[in-house]
Amino acid sequence: MSVDAAHLSTALSAPVRHETGATKTATGAFGRRLAVLALRQGSMAVFIGVLVYFSIAAPYFFTVGNIGNVLGQSAIAGVLAIGLTIVIIAGGSNVVTGGIDLSLAANMGLSAAVYASLLQAGQGDAVAIIGALGTGLVIGAINAAAITLAGIVPLLATLAVMNVVAGLELVLTQNTVVPASSDFLSAVSASGPFGIPVLAYVLLGFAALVAALVQYTPLGLRLYAVGEFPEAARAAGLRVKLFISGAFLASGLCGGFAGILSVSYLSGSTTGAGDMLLPVVVTALLGTVFSRRLVPTIGGTLLATLFVSSLINGFQLLNISSTLVSGVQGLLILLVVSATTLLQRKGNQ
Amino acid sequence: MSNEFLGGVNRRNLLKLTAAVGAVAGAGLFSSGPSFAAEELSLKGKRIGISTAGTDHFFDLQAYNAQIEEVKRLGGEPIAVDAGRNDGKLVSQLQTLIAQKPDAIVQLLGTVSVIDPWLKKARDAGIPVLTIDVGTTNSVNNSTSDNWAIGKDLALQLVSDIGGEGNIVVFNGFYGVTPCAIRYDQLVNVIKYFPKVQIIQPELRDVIPNTVQDAFTQITAILNKYPEKGSIKAIWAAWDVPQLGATQALTAAGRTEIKTYGVDGSPEVLQLVADPNSPAAADVAQQPAELGRTAIRNVAKLLAGGTLPRETYVPALLANKENVGEISKKLGLG
Repeated sequence: MSVDAAHLSTALSAPVRHETGATKTATGAFGRRLAVLALRQGSMAVFIGVLVYFSIAAPYFFTVGNIGNVLGQSAIAGVLAIGLTIVIIAGGSNVVTGGIDLSLAANMGLSAAVYASLLQAGQGDAVAIIGALGTGLVIGAINAAAITLAGIVPLLATLAVMNVVAGLELVLTQNTVVPASSDFLSAVSASGPFGIPVLAYVLLGFAALVAALVQYTPLGLRLYAVGEFPEAARAAGLRVKLFISGAFLASGLCGGFAGILSVSYLSGSTTGAGDMLLPVVVTALLGTVFSRRLVPTIGGTLLATLFVSSLINGFQLLNISSTLVSGVQGLLILLVVSATTLLQRKGNQ
Repeated sequence: MSNEFLGGVNRRNLLKLTAAVGAVAGAGLFSSGPSFAAEELSLKGKRIGISTAGTDHFFDLQAYNAQIEEVKRLGGEPIAVDAGRNDGKLVSQLQTLIAQKPDAIVQLLGTVSVIDPWLKKARDAGIPVLTIDVGTTNSVNNSTSDNWAIGKDLALQLVSDIGGEGNIVVFNGFYGVTPCAIRYDQLVNVIKYFPKVQIIQPELRDVIPNTVQDAFTQITAILNKYPEKGSIKAIWAAWDVPQLGATQALTAAGRTEIKTYGVDGSPEVLQLVADPNSPAAADVAQQPAELGRTAIRNVAKLLAGGTLPRETYVPALLANKENVGEISKKLGLG
């Protein structure tokens, strides 16, 4: 188990703070902190280096219009990755036994299909919004029940739910595109102030809201405590299962919200929502290197989303085949996971 | 969805247009254009955006590569993006492409309702949009096979092969894609006059990806539902990848008395048509590379100040058991 002393001390209330972590790693702590610093600064340096390179090689890259586009194009994946980050925070960051929500992309697909179908059936945007968010919440609730009541590992529980949800989407849409248009949808996919897409503002606003909740409130700190050290959290009187359920509900809601954005962006509900899953998981995992202590954070996930989108955008501007992007993504995740794993092992010695 | 497509153009005008173009097509297609000979065309110093819904099928790969080569041949710089059959990626790429302000954008395939708002944004930004196989009012010119003729030819071949009566199984999963809708509507138009030909309900839905495996599974299931020989006469699909899966399923189940029909001229399917023992009866072959080159030549004409017709038709060739060898030769498939 990863015991990050510095981290626990902020996560748990004072009486529970014990010295074991601090003394055990007293000698290794400095080296580890240095490595963490190097990894974090290194990844920021890579990010900035990539941005600088694109700006020089493709002068159009660093313009308000293009950065706005990148932000807007990140919105759907960003909202999903933020949902996943909440689950990873509450469930712990072990990829196999920790918190993960594989049903997120399918959730977005079904929520979008519900939204588009409701509009097609003559309902207004208000009903459709409630329908989409409700769909997301129900999926979140099923995940929560399977994990906290039935005790299934999140990886398997959400995998099963993913299949059910993807099947429901097929039933609802018959695997066809369901076109949808309304004034609200056009407004969301239009350009806002400074010629920047409205979706860009939506992403930044949403990320700021969730970051405020998760990083700066007692609720958020308890969420971290539950994920990092459930036994200690329980000893401190936190209702662990309640927090985990809440995280899955929040992630379900993110799926529903992303569904609405997707309907607006694609002028309807389309097939292939499942393709989003891998990039979203990659983004959420990549996000840890953009945080101060190599833990999942909302800000880190936002940066990772923008990083991946910038790569795709920059490759297109440089006229490099976009198929290379998935290769680069795979390479990044391999680097990040091995680096954090090595650091965690070192931290536990 | 076809209403959306037709709605913009006005149905009656479109029909007139089709009739007129049908008459002109034969004559007009073989001369390369009214006022520009092929040698005069140039794209020197021009950046041409080439966006495709995907390149995972014979048809779109051929058309996509031919476009890139033609832009280079004419001295221009292609900016080519492939969405890998993902609508989100397609829209993002179009959005970035519009921001790159190329001299023109050519969109190859794609679901109209998804891409149309973005093609309109390109048009609003002053970038001429040309399309291949996409019916939208936001495109200056659409290069396409004459899908009305394709649909009619295929339907007539089918009806004549089954002697004007019997049940047929139909794959109709992509009615939202304009060419598929036209071909399907033509099938319905033809069998309207053959009341003994019935489409088995519910119609099947072909899918992307895993088209072949899925068609195989669906046809195997329907064969179990209609076990007597003669209860199904033919299987129709708007393109030939489901036809491939269907044909394999028939062969596997020993129901080779059922004939299959499709469109696109994929090499695997043409091979099956050429095999006298295969149930693959006919495949209308489009000329995808020629479609791609035609679209790019149209861009060059437009940028040189020429005017373009609403649609440019590239002839399609129906391959059946009798003429498949000849057609394959024409397509350069040996």
